[in-house]
Amino acid sequence: MEIIMEPSIMKINTLDRIVDHSLKKVPKIDLQGVKVWYDDFMAIKGIDMSVKQNTVTAFIGPSGCGKSTFLRMINRMNDYVDGFKMEGKIKIDGDNIYKKKVNVEELRKKVGMVFQKPNPFPKSIFENVAYGLKIQGIKDKDFIKERVESSLKQVALWDEVKDDLKKSGMALSGGQQQRLCIARTLAVEPSIILMDEPTSSLDPISTAKIEELIYQLKEKYTIVIITHNMQQASRISDYTAFFYLGELIEYDKTKKIFTNPEKTQTENYITGRFG
Amino acid sequence: MNNIRKNRWKDQVFKIWGIFCTLIGLVLLVVFIGDILIDGLTRINWDFITNLPSRKPENSGIYTALMGSIWILLLTTIIAFPIGVAAGIYLEEYSKKNRLSGLLEINISNLAGVPSIIYGLLGLEVFVRIMNLGASVLAGSLTLSLLILPIVIVATREAIKAVPSSIKDASYALGASKWQTIWHQILPASGGGILTGVILALSRAVGETAPLIVVGALAYVPFVPQSPLDEFSVLPIQIFNWISRPQAGFIENAAAAIIVLLAITFVMNGIAVYFRNKWQKKWK
Repeated sequence: MEIIMEPSIMKINTLDRIVDHSLKKVPKIDLQGVKVWYDDFMAIKGIDMSVKQNTVTAFIGPSGCGKSTFLRMINRMNDYVDGFKMEGKIKIDGDNIYKKKVNVEELRKKVGMVFQKPNPFPKSIFENVAYGLKIQGIKDKDFIKERVESSLKQVALWDEVKDDLKKSGMALSGGQQQRLCIARTLAVEPSIILMDEPTSSLDPISTAKIEELIYQLKEKYTIVIITHNMQQASRISDYTAFFYLGELIEYDKTKKIFTNPEKTQTENYITGRFG
Repeated sequence: MNNIRKNRWKDQVFKIWGIFCTLIGLVLLVVFIGDILIDGLTRINWDFITNLPSRKPENSGIYTALMGSIWILLLTTIIAFPIGVAAGIYLEEYSKKNRLSGLLEINISNLAGVPSIIYGLLGLEVFVRIMNLGASVLAGSLTLSLLILPIVIVATREAIKAVPSSIKDASYALGASKWQTIWHQILPASGGGILTGVILALSRAVGETAPLIVVGALAYVPFVPQSPLDEFSVLPIQIFNWISRPQAGFIENAAAAIIVLLAITFVMNGIAVYFRNKWQKKWK
């Protein structure tokens, strides 16, 4: 297969990245006074937090503590939930994403998401990765082919699937499916990737592959990941945030959280005494 | 008798009762179909299909009624399919879950249970008289569309509900709009289910008699409708008309026409079952 690069698009992308790097001092994601309700239930009770560019931030905490809700605030996936209400500001690169005129679809191209259970579309592997581009109206077939290949290469899936790109994405193994889902997210070239327990349904070998991948992706992307696996959080993240009952209990460098946490609650949780 | 034996005995009794009840339905159906086949099978030939109705039973055919039924079927599909599916999509994907949508939901389910003759009266007033369509194929199709709309809407909603929400989430998370998600993910995934519902609804429509009689479909039409505004007859009305004649020949004709009508419904149901199975396999 011959790969023809699209020079104009390539140029824009490199340019983007240079601009991004120059902005490094502004927090990539800045959450201010975020409160969330589902009907009368207050799921997030006022959280301030900022995430630096090109870092991996782990969200930890017991189930139902609001970390998933909080993560989904960053790409506005809660918008469709019935009874959802929010207060506060969430800024990405300095712009409040909950302003009225914000185009949610554009936002989600910038903020990708990987889910707990691998959820490939019931389409071919190629179509799975190309979907995000096609819905943007991109028709240039060579460009799509090139982007599909580079995305699959980034997640180290290319060699495994290059001969049957027409096969259904659902025919892959669980670990491959999850890497396909990450490739699908990368194809849209987001700058932030949100991951909601991406390895919780995978075996240890697939998990190791994904962790390795996350480590590499950090160079280009800002990653926020929810995990219930403390070892995983300490292995892959630069910063860790501990949530409990809708509040942010502690947020610091991962090393600090895991070796010398400020709060006893945090310590109890990471050592497995509760949660 | 101890408890275990007693329960086992009860189990057996219920099983036999169940078999008996199933058999009642089956035996009646077999007797009915057998009777119809004996009466009518000899009458079915190409001439019967292509002849116009006549005063003489041996020259009579179902051509006009069959064509009328096909016209009705096509027009009803064209009208009910897009409206019903669109309404189903709206209710499932767009409408906020509040009191109004709850009320709508209950009423649509209730509409599915309204006797068909009531739809006939509505069709007579609205389509035949107010819209001045006359006793035309179009008026009949509109009436039958009303009749099957609730079924189509409910079937569409059920099919859409069965699409895993993880697929929708994935699509939204990649920056797809609601419409893109519906068009590229939800409809392809639920298409089989929607189609099944529509076909079953249509096979009900093709057997309806009462509403079309009320709308004014004719028992005797010596021509095939050329446009949606022409008068028409349909198979069930033709059958009804033949059965009410005294000559034995017409009874035979009626039996033969029933076979044709049954064949149409069975084929449609078969197609529906085929789609349902194909669709279920995809998700396993």
